Amino acid sequence: MDPSEKDSFENQWRKALMDASEAPPPSVWENIEAHLEKDNKRGLLPLWLNSQRIWLAAASVAALLFVGAGIWYSAKNDVSGTNNQVAVSKSGNAGNAENSAADSKTAEADEKGEVGANDITKDEVKSANKVDNASVSSSGAIENKPSIAGKSRKVSRGNSYASKEKHAEHISSDAQSFIAKNSTENPVEAAARIPEANVLSANSSSVNESKQNISAELMSSLPYNDLDVHLQKRYVFFRPEIKAEELVKLSANKEYWAGISLMPASFNPDLKVKSAPTNFSYQALSNKKSVSGTSEAGASYALQTQAGMKLSKHWSLEMGVSYLKGNSNYQGGGYLLSANNSTSANVLENALVGIAPNAYPALTDKSQSFNSGAIYVDVSKKSSNNYQYLQLPVQAGFTIYPEKKLSYSLLGGMMANFFLTNDLESASGDIITTTANDEIYRTVNWAATTGLRFNYRLSSKWKASLTGSYQKAVSSGFRSNQSLDVHPYLYGVAWGVRYSF
Amino acid sequence: MTFNEQELVRGCKQRNRVAQKQLYDVFGGKLFAICLRYTKNRADAEDVLQDAFIKIYENIDSFRADSPIEYWLRSVVVNTALNHLRQQKYLKELDDIDVHHNGLADKEFTLGNFQLQQLLELIQELPTGCRTIFNLYAIEGYQHNEIAEKLGISEGTSKSQYSRARSLLQQKLNKEKRFEDGPVRKR
Repeated sequence: MDPSEKDSFENQWRKALMDASEAPPPSVWENIEAHLEKDNKRGLLPLWLNSQRIWLAAASVAALLFVGAGIWYSAKNDVSGTNNQVAVSKSGNAGNAENSAADSKTAEADEKGEVGANDITKDEVKSANKVDNASVSSSGAIENKPSIAGKSRKVSRGNSYASKEKHAEHISSDAQSFIAKNSTENPVEAAARIPEANVLSANSSSVNESKQNISAELMSSLPYNDLDVHLQKRYVFFRPEIKAEELVKLSANKEYWAGISLMPASFNPDLKVKSAPTNFSYQALSNKKSVSGTSEAGASYALQTQAGMKLSKHWSLEMGVSYLKGNSNYQGGGYLLSANNSTSANVLENALVGIAPNAYPALTDKSQSFNSGAIYVDVSKKSSNNYQYLQLPVQAGFTIYPEKKLSYSLLGGMMANFFLTNDLESASGDIITTTANDEIYRTVNWAATTGLRFNYRLSSKWKASLTGSYQKAVSSGFRSNQSLDVHPYLYGVAWGVRYSF
Repeated sequence: MTFNEQELVRGCKQRNRVAQKQLYDVFGGKLFAICLRYTKNRADAEDVLQDAFIKIYENIDSFRADSPIEYWLRSVVVNTALNHLRQQKYLKELDDIDVHHNGLADKEFTLGNFQLQQLLELIQELPTGCRTIFNLYAIEGYQHNEIAEKLGISEGTSKSQYSRARSLLQQKLNKEKRFEDGPVRKR
């Protein structure tokens, strides 16, 4: 094919059609929107179930409850969103509602007019004032004339101005289709108003016949029904570059969210007896064995709340408040048995008395009984050793694929662990409770935290998340480090939902 | 991609309804014109546009922001239109045809005097195969081998169908000119 020919044929067609634009009918968008709505409602549950299948291995009943609540709220949110959209897309109806409100105002004012007309027999001036009040509220440009007929006319005209003004407002703010709708509805309302005006005129006719004629003449100048209807067909050509400049900024860079989660965890206080407690140091075996005990992680959990802020596309900052119930066991170290009164003490309780005798009067008494000779029993017995902390984490997050349905966040930060209580099982089976007031444990113990979070978008506002996290104390939990040391660490998998604002 | 387009795409990726409507408002007109070119009538074009936008919103995550969104949107619409034609079995019996040049080719040929509506109607009046290949080759700028691959036909068929489309269009244009004896046909 001759290149110049190609140029004159294909290029001309391309030029003519490449950027051609033809406005699609409104029904297309309505159908698309209806489809999107349907997808939104139908898609939510199965998608979540799919994702759950992936994570089923780590699922817990409590997490399901949280997610269930999330879906419930999400569905609720979607419904309200739909309502809003309906309100927006059907603003024509809202306009009609306002019109009817304007009509009811007209009716009220008309009533006043009628009252005024009746009152004229008693007190002309009074009624004139009443009608004035009605008219001034709707139209400022009303002159004060002594004739009731004139006033009643003005009332109706004033009100029609008012309703026209309302229409004008809608026209400026609403879509063009709405203009068309309104303009077809106006004649009906205008027609409805004319009889009302006639009633007023009729009422006032007994007062002044000639004024009534003028009023009727003016009313008859509004025969909208007789006006010709002109239809105009429009072809709209878009220039996307220009349109694009008018786009509003959809969302600010900063996005906030709040979340709640439950974290089953493995908590290990890593409690160590560094040197043999006083009563254990008398014998070589107990002196040696008392430091050999180890901590074992127990099934623990944390209830977490988070508030976060998106700083940029990928980076975010979050903080929160969590309650951690950390359960563990301490195994080994043996215990002492008093030769005199058969009281016993394990290595931990004896060590606790050693670092703070005043905090445990009962234990102090007990330890006295070992001074005059005791038997060391080298038995590897487990004692429960449980902690409660209030945690305040501050973490930075880097999110990969933030726009996808499934995104991943790497988290890292610090956490202030506020010590609440420690429950230690004694050799005799009693629970020795240590609180923050006993000043044995540090009030705040700092820990480093890191984690990986999977975020699954349930809807535009709600996300479900699964977070694997690791926390490790950076300082000892005890105020005095002489004989005891505690450096808790934790592995956990948190299930949660979060809501974006 | 401009900043506003990025915002728009981001909003659509977040399933933001305002963004989705804006995307439709900005590009709906152009994309509808494409649909009109590929289909026989407005009703079919509306169906294709609707399907295309649903695909666009559902697959917006796969759009990479390294090219203008309009290219991607156009390709989705063209593919949706082709699928539509396949479903309607319009493209099944595309055969190699013998085209005799009718000698109506006009070197000083100009479309400047025709309105968009007229041009769209001329294209819509073409047989479906000719119309599709004309659109892909002349407007979208695909090569014949690409079209052959896209439609599962031979390159020769693509060429001959295109020649026929071209010939038919020229006939129609000349006819329009003769009948109207003026630059613009009054509608």
